[in-house]
Amino acid sequence: MFVYEKRLQYPVRIANPNPKLAAIIISQYGGPDGELGASLRYLSQRYSMPFDELRGLLTDIGTEELGHLEMVGAIVHQLTRNLKEGQIRDSAFAPYFVDHTVGVFPAAAAGYPYTAASMQVKGDPIADLTEDLAADGAIM
Amino acid sequence: MNHAAKIGIECLGTTVPMKRLEECLLKPQKRDRSCGEGILPAIAPLANPYVPFQRENPPRYEARKGLVRGTLFPGLDLPFMGMVNKREQPVTPKTELQTLAFAIQELALYLDTHRDDTEALELYRSYQQLYHEGSMVYAKECGPLNHLFPGEGDYAWLNDPWPWEFAANKEA
Repeated sequence: MFVYEKRLQYPVRIANPNPKLAAIIISQYGGPDGELGASLRYLSQRYSMPFDELRGLLTDIGTEELGHLEMVGAIVHQLTRNLKEGQIRDSAFAPYFVDHTVGVFPAAAAGYPYTAASMQVKGDPIADLTEDLAADGAIM
Repeated sequence: MNHAAKIGIECLGTTVPMKRLEECLLKPQKRDRSCGEGILPAIAPLANPYVPFQRENPPRYEARKGLVRGTLFPGLDLPFMGMVNKREQPVTPKTELQTLAFAIQELALYLDTHRDDTEALELYRSYQQLYHEGSMVYAKECGPLNHLFPGEGDYAWLNDPWPWEFAANKEA
């Protein structure tokens, strides 16, 4: 069961919108090593995890990743506030805008939509934890 | 999360001296029976990557510093490209909650693998108590945090601003 908490984990306060940056940051939302992938990875791997410590960790980290997802969504949202036409037309944000306007869509910076094909759940603790290290290491 | 991984190299249960390793890698045609045979360089030792366990009772930041550093534990504080967040958050009911909730989350992750650390457990419990008290102050001032929390008056759940809006974070 999940209960929504109406607050961010850490404040997101972006005074100056920057659509060009939003077009990059979106990858941390729905890209191969983004927060959506992280939360689904951990929350799905926990069912076959044979140790209490790791079941607990995967549950707690997977839940926290959902909080990160919300913060990244807030970042993209605030980076694309009150845009003027020129800011959209003449920036790297234009290809994103044509499909999603200023909606926050889970996709990689390269444009492809979020796919679970970029994560793995093997039902084997060593394989799954190694996959977690690779995914987490990739964004360090 | 930060993972401090280090690589240990051993070959069929024995540690291979660096000099021997270099010799074998530079002369791949030279077979080395102690390390198996095959079409790979004769010596292609197995590498066992591992993540060191966090020690019992590790040093901790105080909760406010933990929030801005992104971890409660100095031992896990590995700033990305050396960039350290030194911004201090103003003290408001909301940042109080964010601070406490983050410290609780960090202690929970630690306790998941160190459930017998009574000192950490005690701190976890005291932060829980403070969070509970803080959330009541917050709810009165800013509206409910979730649907389960007992409230009174009008249905305030829909009140602006929502957490992702600039306005919700302006003074926070």
